Amino acid sequence: MNTIVQIAFRNLLQHRRRSLLLGGAVAMVTLLLVMLSALLNGMQATMLRNGTTLSTGHVNVAGFYKITAGTAAPLVTKYEALLQAVKKQTPGLDYVVTRGRGFGKIVSEESSLNSVLTGLDIVHEAGFKEVVQLAHGNLDELARPRTALIFEKQAERLHVKVGDNVTVSSQTFRGVNNTVDVRIVAIGRDLGMLSSFNCFVHHDAIRDLYELDSSTTGAIQVYLKDAEKAAEVAAKLRTDIEKTGLRVMEPQPQPFWRKFDTVKREDWTGQKIDVTTWIDEMAFMRYTLNTLSALIFVLVTVLLVIIVIGVMNTLWMAIRERTREIGALRAIGMQRGRVLWMFVTEVALLALAATATGSLLATGLCLGLNAAKIVVPKAFQMFLMSETLWLVADVPTVARSLAIIAVVTTLGSLLPAWRASRLQPVKAMQTAS
Amino acid sequence: MIFDKFRRVLGGGGFALGLALAEVAALVDPTVVVAQEAAKETEEPGGDPPAKPLDEVGVKALIKQIDDRQKNSGDYKTLVYIERKEKTKNDVVMEAVVYRRDADDKLMILFTQPKSERGKGYLRIDRNLWMYDPGTGKWERRTERERIGGTDSRRADFDESRLAEEFDAKYEGIEALGKIQAHKLTLTVKKGVDVAYPRIALWCNTSSGNVLKRQEFAASGKLMRTNLTPKWAKRYSESKKADVWTPKTIYIYDEVEKGNSTVIVLKDMDLRPLQANLFTKAWLESQSR
Repeated sequence: MNTIVQIAFRNLLQHRRRSLLLGGAVAMVTLLLVMLSALLNGMQATMLRNGTTLSTGHVNVAGFYKITAGTAAPLVTKYEALLQAVKKQTPGLDYVVTRGRGFGKIVSEESSLNSVLTGLDIVHEAGFKEVVQLAHGNLDELARPRTALIFEKQAERLHVKVGDNVTVSSQTFRGVNNTVDVRIVAIGRDLGMLSSFNCFVHHDAIRDLYELDSSTTGAIQVYLKDAEKAAEVAAKLRTDIEKTGLRVMEPQPQPFWRKFDTVKREDWTGQKIDVTTWIDEMAFMRYTLNTLSALIFVLVTVLLVIIVIGVMNTLWMAIRERTREIGALRAIGMQRGRVLWMFVTEVALLALAATATGSLLATGLCLGLNAAKIVVPKAFQMFLMSETLWLVADVPTVARSLAIIAVVTTLGSLLPAWRASRLQPVKAMQTAS
Repeated sequence: MIFDKFRRVLGGGGFALGLALAEVAALVDPTVVVAQEAAKETEEPGGDPPAKPLDEVGVKALIKQIDDRQKNSGDYKTLVYIERKEKTKNDVVMEAVVYRRDADDKLMILFTQPKSERGKGYLRIDRNLWMYDPGTGKWERRTERERIGGTDSRRADFDESRLAEEFDAKYEGIEALGKIQAHKLTLTVKKGVDVAYPRIALWCNTSSGNVLKRQEFAASGKLMRTNLTPKWAKRYSESKKADVWTPKTIYIYDEVEKGNSTVIVLKDMDLRPLQANLFTKAWLESQSR
């Protein structure tokens, strides 16, 4: 085996130009795969981090209240008892917050925009300050009543700055027009899609807008020490809540705002609780990630096919050039299997070296780009969910990319190597002479 | 110039439409002052005797009179032109036909122009307001307080008046609107009644009783809309055996988003009986086939 590796290695050195060209191509495809995977990882990580802070908990205990059969309000009434039960019965709990949910028009002196309204108590929001980077203002001010946090793009559209007042206008769940005037105390840096339609106000501003009392909230957002256990915890909470006598909605993997039409059509009134995970609430964003994954898969597959064809073509040429050598090796007693392994090893060595180089280059590039904090164009911020480019080239990603390309490239050499091993020694030597 | 805009927006081909729009053009684009001036000209100018303040009975009678005058016990049909002006958007002009059967509380609004809106409509069945979009072929249940066609107008602007049924009135005194004397009333919604605006201020002509100005307030007390109705038209109703009054033009000013406004022009009021099966989803759907 050692001899075969030595021969393969020497062959690679002997045909340096060909090895460099083929190795370079394999390294480039590896680099591309690692970079694209790192981009996808970055988006996933940002989605989990930003999404679970801005618009959903790892698990959400929310629901709908129906005044009449044809209406649906995203409310949890008498939430205190439920909150205590959730705190008590959630395994692996990190912390819990309550959020108000609404939708309204934000009107400034100059302009207006429609936005999702989220009411929060900033003093209890442990993760919020870590995720929302402020461009202007002070987040602690959000603890005062009738205050709001908006994002840069929204501020630009409304032509407002910190300290300005805006009017939030909406209809109560009984259809009465209502308004609240709020003071902008902070302007956050844009966080892509999530920040473009989200605005945060003091929880009581939501209650005032919808004429709700203090025993009502929009959702109880549960944060776990391990977000991976969200589905398991959601199932447990669903059963536990049902046991308390509250009505629980059938699980639907959709964000709450996509359930309005379904709930309005259902023939019941009063309160029903809906338990969802962050994956359900972010289902609409996973579409972007899935599309990107599919695109990466197609692109890498095409590149791999090209690489495999290149490898096969190069080996055909090598076998043609080295027919006499193969004949001589066979004549002095080398078995067919060892000839096959010699060619396969040659490609495997080249593939390993090339993919390792490509991976190293890609990892270095990712680190460099992250350090440079490159601001991406506004249109891409929407999908990247971040203002800057964020790439996560972790060990599993790099190892996976390296293994896929090395294995596929090596497999591509099997057919030419097998054909080489089938050459008759006499014929091979005659052909050469 | 405004006539040209209407013709451009609606793609108006026919002479009749052009004539109607020319009349509309003459009424559109007012300021509050202009509307008040229009009111001065049309509301029995000159020589009104000094008005007397109203007592509680007088206020109730006035509110009842406002409702009764606009109510028709039979059917009602009118052509409306709706112009929406928004600061950040292009002006939009729409033509629609409003059908009412007050005896059954039925209402339908069918959009006929421009082409993009043609066939869309609102239909009230019992206490539910439904909207039909021929583009998708679907019906959607909407709130009764829905903005009609994305404008500042509401269902109530096209419906019969129910002030006495929904509000308690309080007399505020006599105020001058330009040269016209008007009774000012404050209306507060009755307990358990759902309306779009829980508080309304009304200015009614002291001599004719017609509403000249209406301000609507949000639950928070913020002024949301100001409506001006300087001109009123009346037509004799066979079913009611009395005149039915409707405003000729409604100017709606958005008081939250200053600069946004809507003008509704009502024309060709027809009080003859309508088809029996008109107020159905099937009939509205058939209009876009």
